[in-house]
Amino acid sequence: MSIIEDVKHDYKFKVVLLGEGAVGKSSLVMRYVKNKFTSRHLSTIQASFQTQKIQIDDDEVELNIWDTAGQEKYHALGPIYYRGSNGVLLIFDVTDQRSFEKVKMWVRELRATLGNSAVLMIVGNKIDMENERTVSRETAEEYAKTENAFYSETSAKENIGISTAFETLTEKMIEHNKENARNAPPIANRSIQLIDENERNSSIRTKKAKCC
Amino acid sequence: MSAKHEEEEGKKIKVQIREKDLLCINGCGFYGTPQWENRCSKCWRAHQIVLKRSQDFAKNRTLLSFDQFQERRKSTTEGRTLSIKKIFKSQTLLPSSSDASPTSNSPNTTPTRSRDISPDSKAARENLTDFLIRELPTSIVQEITRQVKYAVNKIKELRVNPDDMSELVQGFYQYLNDKLNSSAFFAQEACKITIQEVMDEVEKYICTCCYSYLFCASSDEEVADVSLQDRIRSLHWVTAGFLETKLDFKKQAVRDKLDEAIAELIEINAKKSTSEKLEHLVKSSNLIFRALSESSASNSADEFLPVMIFALLRGNPPLIQSNVKFISRFSTPNRVMSGETAYFFTHLSCALQFVQEMNHESLRMEKTEFEAYTSGQLAPPLSAINCACNQAIFTIEGALDSVTALKNEQTSLLSKIQQLERRVETEVASLTTDFSTKMSILPSKKYLDLRAEILREEQMTQDLIASFSRQSSDSGISSGTLENRAE
Repeated sequence: MSIIEDVKHDYKFKVVLLGEGAVGKSSLVMRYVKNKFTSRHLSTIQASFQTQKIQIDDDEVELNIWDTAGQEKYHALGPIYYRGSNGVLLIFDVTDQRSFEKVKMWVRELRATLGNSAVLMIVGNKIDMENERTVSRETAEEYAKTENAFYSETSAKENIGISTAFETLTEKMIEHNKENARNAPPIANRSIQLIDENERNSSIRTKKAKCC
Repeated sequence: MSAKHEEEEGKKIKVQIREKDLLCINGCGFYGTPQWENRCSKCWRAHQIVLKRSQDFAKNRTLLSFDQFQERRKSTTEGRTLSIKKIFKSQTLLPSSSDASPTSNSPNTTPTRSRDISPDSKAARENLTDFLIRELPTSIVQEITRQVKYAVNKIKELRVNPDDMSELVQGFYQYLNDKLNSSAFFAQEACKITIQEVMDEVEKYICTCCYSYLFCASSDEEVADVSLQDRIRSLHWVTAGFLETKLDFKKQAVRDKLDEAIAELIEINAKKSTSEKLEHLVKSSNLIFRALSESSASNSADEFLPVMIFALLRGNPPLIQSNVKFISRFSTPNRVMSGETAYFFTHLSCALQFVQEMNHESLRMEKTEFEAYTSGQLAPPLSAINCACNQAIFTIEGALDSVTALKNEQTSLLSKIQQLERRVETEVASLTTDFSTKMSILPSKKYLDLRAEILREEQMTQDLIASFSRQSSDSGISSGTLENRAE
C-alpha cells in the first residue's frame, strides 16, 4: 500500500533504521542525505525523518528514511515503526558486540512480524575504529547470509560505504517489489457500499461518449 | 464507627476463630469480613476503586489497541472479499432500518435537514465545490460530486461499527482513486492537478461533513479515552527526568517551545478534517525539534520520542486516542503511510502506546515504587534530574534571579548617586578654592591699577593731611588770621 507506482516506474520506499542507541543511526542519515545535497537547503530541521531521491537505472526512487528511538525501553514500540516498510537498515557498532546481538534480536522480530515483505540490510558502522573492532566482517557477513539479509560496512565519520549501502538496498527493494508485483494476484473488483452502484455504469457510458 | 461495629462483631465470634484470622488481610489493624474478601470497610473500598480502574484500563487497551487496528487496516486491502460478504449482510439488514426510519423520523425531517448544514460542513462543501469547479472539467466534477454525495448520505444512514465504517470509507477512497486514474483527463501532460490533490479535498469534505458520525462514534471508545486521560493524570509524577529527555528546562526558550508544542497537540482535537489534525501534529513535532535544538541536544529520534511522550503526559490532550483512531481510519492512505506526516503520526502512536503500557519496567524502577507514585502515596524523590524539569521551581528561580538582579542594579544605582553627590561636593569646594586662589594669585591688571591708585591716593591724602596739620600747628595765628580774613 505504501508503494506508489505509476507508469514511469517511480517508486516510493519506506526505509526504517533500527539499532541500539549511539550506534550512529542519525549520523549515517545525515551523512548520506546532506553530503549528497550540500547545495540544497533542507526544509526540515531534524535528522530523524529525511527524504532522498535517487536514480537507479531508469527508475526514480524516493526514499523516506525513518530514524527510530533505539533505547531499550522503547523496544516494544518497534512494530509500530517498521510496519509497512520496504526496507530496514539494521545498524550496529563494529566495536560493540552487544549492539550486534541486538541486531540479531531485531532480525528475528522482523521476520516474525513482516515475513519477507521487507528487504533487510545489516550495516556495521564505525569501521574507522578498526583497532577497537570486536565484531569481525566474516562473522557479520556469515550471519547476514543465514538470515537472507545483505551486509555492508560503513563509517559515518569518514564517509565510507554509506551511499553504496543505500543504493544496494534500493536496488534490492526494486527487485523485491517487481517480484512481488508479478506474484501478487490481480486486484479483485471492489464493489463497496459507499459507491453509487446504480448510476455507475450509466455514468461511465456517458463519459466515454464525451471523451471519444 | 464501622471499625467499632466490627470490633464488637469480632468479640462475639472470638470463641471459634483465632483473632489473627479476623483481621483485615491488608494488616491495617481493623477487622475484616468474609464478604469483603477479608478486608475492612476502608480497604475494601480502596480495593474496589483499584479494581475498577484496572478493569477500565484493560478494556481501554483491548478496545483501542493500535496493533489490532493496523491489522484491520491491512485486511482492508487483503481480505476484501470477506468484508464484502459482511457488507451485503448488513445491507440486507439495512432496508428494515431505513424503512423504519422514515416513519419515525418524518415529523423531524425539517429540523434534521437544517441541522445537517452546520457552518463547518457548509464551508467544507463550498470549499470542495470551488476546488472542483476551478480545477476540473464538468463531467468529472459531476461524477465526483455524485459519488461523494452518495457516500456521505450512506455514512449517515449506516449504523455499523467504526472499523467496518473505516473499511467502507477506505474502499470508497480506493474506488474513487481508481476511477480518477482511469480518466483521460489526469493522463494529460497539461494537467496541473494530481489525483492525490483531488482525493485530499474529497477526504477533507467527507471527514468534516460526517464528523459526528465518524469521530468517537462508539461510547466504548469514549470511555476508553476518559480512562486513558485518568491514567495520564495519575502519571503526573513522571517527569522529564524519568523519561531521560535531554531538554534544558533552565532555558526560557525551551520551555516556551515545549508549551507551544503541547498547545498544538491539544489543538488536534479542535479540528475536524484529518489533514488539519495532522497539520497540528506536524507543527507540534517541529516545535519539539526546535526545543531540542535550543537545548543543544541532537535531533535524532532517540531524543524526539521521549519528549513526545513527555508532551503527551504534560498536555493530556483531550480524546487523543479517538483522534489517532479517527486519523488512521478515515485519512487517505498516503497521508498516514508515507511522508513526514506519517512519520510524526507513527511517533504519536508510539508515544500513546508507551503511555498505555507504561509500568515500572519501562521506567526501570521497583514495582512497589511505581505503584506508590501512581496512587499518590509517595512523592518521587527530588533528585537533581527530576527537579530539573520542575517548571514551577524554575519559574520561581527565574523570578528570584530577576529580583536579585534588580536589587543589585538598585544598589549600584544608589552608590552611583552617592558618588555623584560626593563628586559635586568636592567639585564645588575645589572650584571655590580654585577661584579664591586664582583671585589671590592672579589679580587682574585693572584691579592692581585700581589698588595702586587707591594706595597712591590714600598716601596722597595722608601726606596732605600731615602737611596740612603741620602747617596749621606751625602758624596757628596766621591761619587764624587767615580764617578771620576769610570771614
